[in-house]
Amino acid sequence: MAIKTSGAKYDIFTKIALVLVVLIIGLLIVLPLLNILVYSTQPSGSAILTNSLSDVVTRDIIWNTIKLGLSVATLGTLLGFIMAYTQARVDFRGKKVLHIINLVPIISPPFAFATAIIVLFGRSGMITRGIFDWRPTLYGYPGLVLVLTLSFFPIAYMNLLGMLRSLDPALDEAGSSLGANKWRIFRTVTLPLLIPGFAGSFLLLFIETIADLANPLIIGGNYTVLASRAYMAINGDYDISLAAGYSTLLLLPALFVFLIQRYWAQKRSVVSVTGKPSGRPTLVTSKPAKFFLLSVTSLLTLLISLVYLTVLFGAFVQIIGVNNEFTLDHFRYLLGGFANGAIKTTTMLALMATPLAGFFGMLIAWLVIRKVRRGSEALDFLGMLGIAVPGTVIGIGYAITYNDPVKIGGVTVFPQVGGGGAIFGGAVAIVMVYIIRSSPAGQRSGISQLQQIDPAIEEASASLGAAGGKTFRLVTLPLISGAFLSGLMYAFAHSMTTLSPIIFLVTPDTSILTQKILAEADQGRYGNVFALCCILIVLILIIGGLINLLVRRTQVSIDRPMVTGR
Amino acid sequence: MATKTGSLRLERLTKEFGNGKEKVVAVRELSLTINPGEFVTLLGPSGCGKTTALRMIAGFETPTGGQVLLDGDDLSAMTPDKRPMGMVFQSYALFPHMTVFDNVAYGLRVKKMSGNEIKSAVAEVLESMSLSHLANRAPNQLSGGQQQRVALARAMVVRPKVLLFDEPLSNLDAKLRAQMRVEIRSIQRRLGITSIFVTHDQDEAMSLSDRIVVMRNAVVEQVGTPDEVYRRPSSVFVADFIGRSNFLEVESAVEARNGEAKVVVSGKKMTVAAQAKALSSKKPVLLVRPESISVTASKSRGASFEKGEGKVTNVVFYGNHVEYTLDTHEGEIVAVVSDPIYEEIVPVGKIAHYSFEPDRAWLLPSDSTHATKQDQE
Repeated sequence: MAIKTSGAKYDIFTKIALVLVVLIIGLLIVLPLLNILVYSTQPSGSAILTNSLSDVVTRDIIWNTIKLGLSVATLGTLLGFIMAYTQARVDFRGKKVLHIINLVPIISPPFAFATAIIVLFGRSGMITRGIFDWRPTLYGYPGLVLVLTLSFFPIAYMNLLGMLRSLDPALDEAGSSLGANKWRIFRTVTLPLLIPGFAGSFLLLFIETIADLANPLIIGGNYTVLASRAYMAINGDYDISLAAGYSTLLLLPALFVFLIQRYWAQKRSVVSVTGKPSGRPTLVTSKPAKFFLLSVTSLLTLLISLVYLTVLFGAFVQIIGVNNEFTLDHFRYLLGGFANGAIKTTTMLALMATPLAGFFGMLIAWLVIRKVRRGSEALDFLGMLGIAVPGTVIGIGYAITYNDPVKIGGVTVFPQVGGGGAIFGGAVAIVMVYIIRSSPAGQRSGISQLQQIDPAIEEASASLGAAGGKTFRLVTLPLISGAFLSGLMYAFAHSMTTLSPIIFLVTPDTSILTQKILAEADQGRYGNVFALCCILIVLILIIGGLINLLVRRTQVSIDRPMVTGR
Repeated sequence: MATKTGSLRLERLTKEFGNGKEKVVAVRELSLTINPGEFVTLLGPSGCGKTTALRMIAGFETPTGGQVLLDGDDLSAMTPDKRPMGMVFQSYALFPHMTVFDNVAYGLRVKKMSGNEIKSAVAEVLESMSLSHLANRAPNQLSGGQQQRVALARAMVVRPKVLLFDEPLSNLDAKLRAQMRVEIRSIQRRLGITSIFVTHDQDEAMSLSDRIVVMRNAVVEQVGTPDEVYRRPSSVFVADFIGRSNFLEVESAVEARNGEAKVVVSGKKMTVAAQAKALSSKKPVLLVRPESISVTASKSRGASFEKGEGKVTNVVFYGNHVEYTLDTHEGEIVAVVSDPIYEEIVPVGKIAHYSFEPDRAWLLPSDSTHATKQDQE
């Protein structure tokens, strides 16, 4: 990756940082992806690729994946919008609580939703059968749509809420002073302004959905999608090339949609984020509209609460819905040896990855916004690859690349870091995945915070004699500490709950909590699944809180960040 | 050697942005020598290249041509942090996560001075700018003027050889701006630091500078003392940009001695001082500043006055002066009469007589583009 500069000289620190960042990105994501492409050209992989449209089975898998992606993206965006609009434009009690409940699914461990939904609404569900004596088939398409929509709609919710809040209320006021009623303003002003938000949310949800592996494994039934098929190619067919073939089929649309989302939908945004909107937004007062919005909102919030209550309740009873007798057996079993190692290893590896991912994200953000002149978009894109590429693809790419030493011309340039027999029992590869999967979040928040900070502040530091590295440490990092903190929290929570990439990397020496949950869910031991989810959530809350405290203690509080600009 | 340091030389300094068809020249071959301790202002409308020039001196922009020399040494290879210069930014650029004290101490800490030295140096500079009582405040707890002073203190405390100012007063209100002008100038005189000040405000340039560099479209129009650029502007653009101007049409102009010219304006002959290129210009114009013109209701006495008359189209009374707009045979004429007597002001619609002394006039070559301040900004 050659990044050209336009005349202006880079100082030593920038040069070193740039080389380091490109090298790390190359190692952590580009190399595994290249290997996927290389392996997919071998016989069984290339057979899948060349016959992808003629072979009925493959075609069905592709169509299943796309159908699921489109359904969840549509439903999730719609729900996200209704929730966001209600939150921004309807006056009601309990707004804050609702907001928090709507965000919880983002840090929720995988399987919590799938298993709880089965327990509640499945063939012998507590609600479907218990109350309505109805025995629906949840496994397959309907269950996946339900579970994935519930898991991913918060992304659309956050996205659209942010946009709605930054809409200048004066626009609504201008509309009404020109004689438009509220419904007309909604149709002709609010909705058109949100179109980029809808497009962006839709595309993001599409990517998340087709990349998901955990839910198709649990609730997919016979409904096979590309991610689960690629997983089966490794765990059933033991054919790496076949897995690489399916990975490529998954990788291409994911990257394509990601590119559209980043460089088309986002640039279309006409909502100005500069300056604070003046005045207060006009609220919805029409009774039927309010009734509709509040009904949908409360139903959805109720459903989410129900899911988490099921998880909590299920962790403390024998068999939820069958034998609701209080017990600590699940915890006794898990903490009595079954999951101890996994808890320790997962927490340790996530804690190792967290500062590295946070720092890495900030460094890329700083280079992209402040330092790199030509090629900054390319660098930004490379940094985002970790989140754009489906976890399954990354996991398989890592298994191909790092389960052996990396050699160039017979000379080992990078040791074997993944799989059994690797150094540190394969833990290094897991930490690497954690870093590349969670640094993009820090990168994004770092970029948006840096864009609001007057570049003259860093120039002032340079003109007072502080070279590049010193300025970054003394001025830039403290100023973006808010983004840094949110990057850290995300990195930790995400690392603790991620499944799809590391499922290919766990070894007997490195057992990971999410993989334990998958194993227990596979066996139908839902009590253990719920208990593990509880443990995971408690760990995230406690350690996340500690990280928050630690970072806040070392940071000087900035009441009002200086956002002066020229 | 006891000679003062801080002499800055710019040699054909050039900055081009973009390439190919989209190439934009921001600064074209700027050459200038600034003496130790001198206060020089880069003045011009926005987009004229003055800020780019300053940022090249500071090292934030890399020139595409030419050199910056400080006491004879080429600074081209030096990053901003190595240059012995202090900069005061338009937005102040105070570190929001540090107190006033820490902001000012920053440059000294980077230089790894001892704690005690830092304490006394910071205390001294804060004292001299009457900021001592604010040492522990955060920047966002300060008023604009106070932030400005902290920014100045922070740049000065490291004892730079050159101080650079990038429109530092433009965020202040008018009264504070005037006050800060005086303060900056007196501190600069006391310390004798070579200073370069960028502004688009002519009042600031006039009141602060030893010399003014007037820039337009990436090139220097004129370099001179405030008096020179005001009384003897090199072009219609400079005359128009600095102060207000009346340009009278000249019917004929012939050379006289000592850089003077004999001209005919509205049939009246007079001898006026002339710019070197004025006589070779196709259509020279005569510059007369509004305050050089006096207006009376009846014809005034005195043979040395050149006289004319016109209809008053507008009168504005400001208290300390009155401003007339007259419709005359020579075109529209603006005149400013100071210390007016209210009863003697000629009302709108009446005929007024105006006059000026020929030695207050200045013959100029006419520009091809007659740009006014309004369309430049």
